[in-house]
Amino acid sequence: MSIILMIILIIIAGVAMGAGVHFIPVGGAPAAMATATGVGTGTAMLAAGAGMTGLITAASMANENPILIIVAGAIGAAMMMGITMFVANLIYVYGTGVIPVSAKIEKDPITGLPQEAYKTPGTEGHGVPTVSFVSGLVGGALGGLGGGLSFYAISDVANVTFKNVMANPSPETIIIIAAVCSIGLFFVNSVVASYNIGGTIEGFHDPKFKRIPKGALASIIASLVIAIFIAFIVGGI
Amino acid sequence: MADSFVTNENSMLILGIVGSLILICLSGVSSTFGPLFAALGAVCAILWGANAISRVASYGLGTGVPSIGYMSLGGGIVSSLSGLIIAERFLSKSLGAVTAEYVGPIIALIIGLLIGLIIAVVAKKLIGMKIPVMIRCTAELGGAAALSIIGFSVAIAGSLNLTDILNTVVLTGMIGLLFILNTMAIQHPYNACLGPNEDPVRTFKCACHTAFLSMTVVGICAVLNLGYVSLPIIVLGLICWIISFRSFVNASYEDASEVKWSGLWPEVEQ
Repeated sequence: MSIILMIILIIIAGVAMGAGVHFIPVGGAPAAMATATGVGTGTAMLAAGAGMTGLITAASMANENPILIIVAGAIGAAMMMGITMFVANLIYVYGTGVIPVSAKIEKDPITGLPQEAYKTPGTEGHGVPTVSFVSGLVGGALGGLGGGLSFYAISDVANVTFKNVMANPSPETIIIIAAVCSIGLFFVNSVVASYNIGGTIEGFHDPKFKRIPKGALASIIASLVIAIFIAFIVGGI
Repeated sequence: MADSFVTNENSMLILGIVGSLILICLSGVSSTFGPLFAALGAVCAILWGANAISRVASYGLGTGVPSIGYMSLGGGIVSSLSGLIIAERFLSKSLGAVTAEYVGPIIALIIGLLIGLIIAVVAKKLIGMKIPVMIRCTAELGGAAALSIIGFSVAIAGSLNLTDILNTVVLTGMIGLLFILNTMAIQHPYNACLGPNEDPVRTFKCACHTAFLSMTVVGICAVLNLGYVSLPIIVLGLICWIISFRSFVNASYEDASEVKWSGLWPEVEQ
């Protein structure tokens, strides 16, 4: 793989990571008190959980078919996101005693169930309703896809060029370098995307989701800068 | 004196850049105390980063304080590795291998500042964040993150040599630990102390305690590679951690209107 193709793939991966954050139901501090829809924590935490799981599943497929690496990353991250949202819902329903409900729409577009009547007055919804759950799975998969793609691109180039940096690099060194660079890329893109949504979002049905083009452009610029320095790290430039 | 030092952003900038670069470069002077100097250099960088985060996050980021910490370390980990690698590959012939090793942290600092600057410009101009100090503080955070990673990496590897760092920090996976450890040390102080009566001196004391606690953990990680040489890092880190943690707890007690032990819940018959 040429170094230019690696940079392009890293930018595509960065956009996928940034777009993934727009799908994930991030509730922030209000959701932690069950007064807003979403998982009760910030983007960085959700991205860390889902993204790192995706990278571990992607790295476990290192040196295999690239499609296998990317799909493994996507499934790992989506699974972690799903588990997080499911356990959060268990706590909201059986611990706090609230019904998963969205405040942004009147009817759930997937199940068709009415939302407004179940929302506690004065709150912004509770828990993770079906539409947010599905959106979160898509977001996790997109984030993991980005992680897997950047991992594949970096390790594929590093396999050939990392000998410029150190003599006889072991395969483990290359895997760790690719994983570390992907993690750096992941966090930068997820936080830039999180600035774009202003911290909290319910999923693809949220009006804030329309800001995604601006977020994609921001991800392209941020990823391009990171990608150039990753090219130095793998010894390609 | 301490108040004006902690609240003045330029003095913290000098502590971060000059203090930590000098201490990291001093690691080449002595093989016994070199790792200790490098770890102290990383402590300076963490104090600088914690100060920068408290200035930018006091405007309210909307995403929580940890997010900007993770972002800066995400950029910092790329900039620290690329800085060391660029110095080794492109400058070792013209400057000599040993001088190039000393230039590595400076290049990493510049790359860290640059990545932080570009991300901040994107966040401010494109996304429309309305924080006046955003650009300066995010750039500072990128630099602090890069220096803190390099300082602790040198403390674990025992030298500024790139191959040593790759073999002892990257290959062993310690770099992942440093990523989370430094993120926590930089973002926790303001995250723990924020609020209407946030006191910069108290936040600084909290930053000292997270930095020295991280230094102790790094000292323990370095035992595998350095043996007894890592002992000064652990001992000094522990002593300074106890001092700074005590002073942080005392400052919290002084600033609280009253501290009382409420006792356990009374046992009431249902």
